[in-house]
Amino acid sequence: MRLFEQIRQYNYKRALKYNETYLFFVLIVFGAGITIINPTFLSPENTFDLINSSAGTAILAIGVFLVLMSGGIDVSFTAIAISGQYIAVNVLTAAHVDNLAFAFLVSCSVGIALGAVNASLISLFKLPTLITTLGTLSMFHGGLLAFVGTKAFNTGDLPNCFKAFGQASLFTLTRPDGSMYGLSVYALILLVILIASWLILRYTMLGRGIVAIGGNREAAERAGFDIVRIQYFIYCFVGFLAGIMGIMHVSLLRYSNPNYIVGDELNVIAAVVLGGARITGGSGSLLGTMLGVAMIVILEKNLVLIGLSSYWHQFFIGLIIIVGVSITYYQNLRRTNQRVVFVKE
Amino acid sequence: MTEKILEAKNISKAYVGVQALDSVNMDIRKGEIHCLVGENGSGKSTLIKIVAGVVKQDTGEIILNGHPYTYLHAIDSIRQGVQIIYQDLSLFPNLTVAENISLNQEIERSSKTINWNDIRSIAEKALSEIGEQLDLDEKVENISVASKQLVAISRALTQNARLIIMDEPTSSLTRDEITHLFSVITGLKTRDISTLFVSHKLSEVFEISERVSILRDGKMVGTYKTEELDNDRLIFLMTGKKIEATLYTFDEKSTKKTPLLEVLHLSKSRNFKDISFSLRKGEILGITGLLGSGRTELALALFGMYPADSGEIRIEGTPISIKSIPDAIKAGIGYLPEDRLNQGLFIEQTISTNIIVTILKKLLNRFRMVSKVKRKELVNKWVDELAIKTPSVEATAQSLSGGNQQRLVLAKWLATDPKVFIFDGPTIGVDIASKSTIHKIIRDLAESGMGIIIISDEIPEVLQNSNRVLIMYRGKIIEEITDVTSVTEDKLFSIMSGKDVNEAV
Repeated sequence: MRLFEQIRQYNYKRALKYNETYLFFVLIVFGAGITIINPTFLSPENTFDLINSSAGTAILAIGVFLVLMSGGIDVSFTAIAISGQYIAVNVLTAAHVDNLAFAFLVSCSVGIALGAVNASLISLFKLPTLITTLGTLSMFHGGLLAFVGTKAFNTGDLPNCFKAFGQASLFTLTRPDGSMYGLSVYALILLVILIASWLILRYTMLGRGIVAIGGNREAAERAGFDIVRIQYFIYCFVGFLAGIMGIMHVSLLRYSNPNYIVGDELNVIAAVVLGGARITGGSGSLLGTMLGVAMIVILEKNLVLIGLSSYWHQFFIGLIIIVGVSITYYQNLRRTNQRVVFVKE
Repeated sequence: MTEKILEAKNISKAYVGVQALDSVNMDIRKGEIHCLVGENGSGKSTLIKIVAGVVKQDTGEIILNGHPYTYLHAIDSIRQGVQIIYQDLSLFPNLTVAENISLNQEIERSSKTINWNDIRSIAEKALSEIGEQLDLDEKVENISVASKQLVAISRALTQNARLIIMDEPTSSLTRDEITHLFSVITGLKTRDISTLFVSHKLSEVFEISERVSILRDGKMVGTYKTEELDNDRLIFLMTGKKIEATLYTFDEKSTKKTPLLEVLHLSKSRNFKDISFSLRKGEILGITGLLGSGRTELALALFGMYPADSGEIRIEGTPISIKSIPDAIKAGIGYLPEDRLNQGLFIEQTISTNIIVTILKKLLNRFRMVSKVKRKELVNKWVDELAIKTPSVEATAQSLSGGNQQRLVLAKWLATDPKVFIFDGPTIGVDIASKSTIHKIIRDLAESGMGIIIISDEIPEVLQNSNRVLIMYRGKIIEEITDVTSVTEDKLFSIMSGKDVNEAV
């Protein structure tokens, strides 16, 4: 409830300074436009479907958001997600275990381990984050294909626990024709992760450390933050979230292909950037990130509706990143020029 | 006897080959405002770092509140109440005022979680201790430099500071903000908190301090009561030299009546408005004004970096259009930036590369390659002419001292044969001895027939080295002083701060 309280506490002028405010209105206008073309857009069924299919992206986005906050960037998370997923599927199949908790355990462990590799390179060797994770993206995915395999698992080959998980609903509603549809448990998982991340970021010293490093690394060091420890947390946490997403992904698709997910990095990064996270670190919000994800997913699903081919999606993703980065750059430029702005026109 | 918060006894520190500090003694009394002055490289920052426990002295001891330390850890220094406010302030731009003030204390408490009510109340308390009010929820990136300084001071207070060391705190403040900062420092004094003020602006030293300690070449020249010193004496103690101040005189009849540079109704929205002035051969024109008065923006417009929106620029009577830096260079305008490290040099490149970079075309041989012979001739010429102190012209620019870097930037632009040269804050961060050399170079250039514009907020510098002064305020020229002997520094100051301006203007 604190979040809502906080939103209420914002005064009007301050709210206008927030990217989220604009994004929220854009989203409403966008949604209204789509509803005019496609009246079923706002139906519960369509909404549930959107949440279900975007929960995985949203979870990855939370991870990317944390990294961006700390002034870094991670592009290897897709490779981590698919590694977690594919290794978990292989382990479960080989060991003839049909247990979802075990699947999560394997996938998340892989995620944390690979995250730790990133963290080690970045914090101990002080390598630039973009180059490091570009490298590990390729290493992790290549390693997966070389050591674990390239064979895809069809629905029939998958342990049942995945399929059950993909279909589990929090509650169900009945269509006029009598068939059922429901809100997936994915919504709950996303909500838990979202709240946990928000609590960490806002109410723990660790979280403030992440924000502080993103703002001024040297000052954070002088203030006594343990930067190595904080970076380990960040990159392992991203790995952990990627591990969760990996299992959600296979369960929804009922198909595991070691070439999936990789390639979607920019989608997620675009959502976070669109959500207002500054690419140079230290600034942004989880609320904005979620709005950014909603925007990207809705865009992706409805392009065809507006009469554009899905190739346009890729085009827009790139555009969003360029525009998002330009805005950050422009704002910085304005800030540095602010001291010269004084003549009343 | 007054109680001493800090005593440094026989402190020596050597870095590879350099004796940074040599048996230095200094003491600071409780509630005292003490200034530490010295030229660049005199050992000021080494001494501060030793007091903070960041650097370990080779010999000697530091006594804090009566506790002697031969090996002072940073944490002990903090526990004894020593707080340093670095020049960059070490704040988090993306965090709120409240959090910036309170975060250190929260870390100190080694708490795992954050209580936002605590954060606010700690910040409120610290701000009220210095009698200030700031919007606690505003992000630090959105507040002024002066307010940032108050945030840094408040943060020091949350750590039970007994001695606050401020490293060059006034470098980016306006006059009014400095006055305000000084009142805050005086306020700390009434609460028995001592301040060690590190500065090289001598006027401020006289304004604020009770005692002054002077370092020169790693040795403590001595500690003096401020009232025992005057400006000349202090300069002498700092530099070991007598530096003569003479005014620059311009002989009107010696040059043509046609101005070298004419600026007519030049405007740039939000920066400056309707600027007109002229500059003749051999003249040194001073332009002064507060930070944000448009003085630097005007210079950058003349140099084509941020071109003006409207108005006319004429060189020797011919109207020219300056839309880019190459335009300005072609028109014969040179510029020495205020921030020489960021704007003036390729800091990692060699001295010779830096000198020739603006005139590569002139050095091409018939194969369109840079001629080595021409290159060498030119580089040596300027290194000699400007007396750049370096073992080799192939050393990197960053290996030079501040004053020499400034000369290098100058060499780079002089190589382009400019007619008009703009010096923007030519001696910022330069020590006094180099300052007078740079002033001498500027005068020599003017006497050789160049038209010079000096932009500076150091009033003595402008008055001494110009034959005419323009004062800018909020983007306009509000006053032209044709006889520099007719005004006092104080008068100029009040005009600059807009106090003598009829607001209707």
